[in-house]
Amino acid sequence: MFRELNPILHSELRLAIMSILISVESAEFTYIKKETAATSGNLSVQLDKLSQAGYITVKKGFKGKKPCTTCRITTEGIKAFREYVEAIKTYLDSGKQG
Amino acid sequence: MEEKAINEQESLQIITKMIRNTQKRMVKNEGNTFLIWGYTTLAVTIAVGLAIHFSGNWRWNYLWFAIPVIGAPLNAIFRHNTPKGVRTYIDTVIKYVWIVLGIACFFASVLSIVSGLYKNILFIVPLIIGSGSAITGMVVKFTPATVGGFLGIALGALTLFFPQYSLITFAMIFVIMMIIPGHILNSKSRKMNKTEEASNVQGA
Repeated sequence: MFRELNPILHSELRLAIMSILISVESAEFTYIKKETAATSGNLSVQLDKLSQAGYITVKKGFKGKKPCTTCRITTEGIKAFREYVEAIKTYLDSGKQG
Repeated sequence: MEEKAINEQESLQIITKMIRNTQKRMVKNEGNTFLIWGYTTLAVTIAVGLAIHFSGNWRWNYLWFAIPVIGAPLNAIFRHNTPKGVRTYIDTVIKYVWIVLGIACFFASVLSIVSGLYKNILFIVPLIIGSGSAITGMVVKFTPATVGGFLGIALGALTLFFPQYSLITFAMIFVIMMIIPGHILNSKSRKMNKTEEASNVQGA
């Protein structure tokens, strides 16, 4: 039986953001931008969507005089990511069996 | 990357690639923290040794406190100038390990002067800092720091048995425990960054 894939996570850029944040304590906007090769505008929009879903927290501050945006995954985000991976497994397992 | 629909295979590839890249992350000049504290300690040890030798005044031992006075701001400047952009749980563990050990070291140094047990401090400091190096090395899987840390702990005992050579032994310990691992780590990080840049150019 296929499990429904979370539509918030089932998107290239949002999944990449979550995959980075799941393995670190926090990541800055510039780091995520470099790793995902996304544009600043698009990245901001996707971070907002993940934040509104309660999957990440976005903290805007300063590092010296430069603005610095730091993102962290939330407990809810970790749970959603785990469920998404479990759901993906059901698709891949069915592919192997077929 | 964009906001676009993906299939299950692509999902798995994205997850694997992003997690692997983050774990492989190696920042330029990561060994500089080792080098800053290693060279500062070496310079101060030489200064204390020479000052006491030529003046015969034990009060020159207060110069030891130049280590945190010089090392802490240099380390803070270096950290500020080389932003990582990401903090892992390992980074946090290592940071707190060194904060605790740094405080323990400072406390032991102050006590050694006020209690008159200053000769033992050249054994206690390598014991504490060596433990830090060994823990860091084992956590980040960097053998030179692990070996250097354990050698530091072992060689520190020599300062108790051969007090006449204690300052030279102490200086050598910091070369083995911090300066050599620091240079190896920087060289390794430079090579990895070059390889990464080359693969990025090829991939572009």
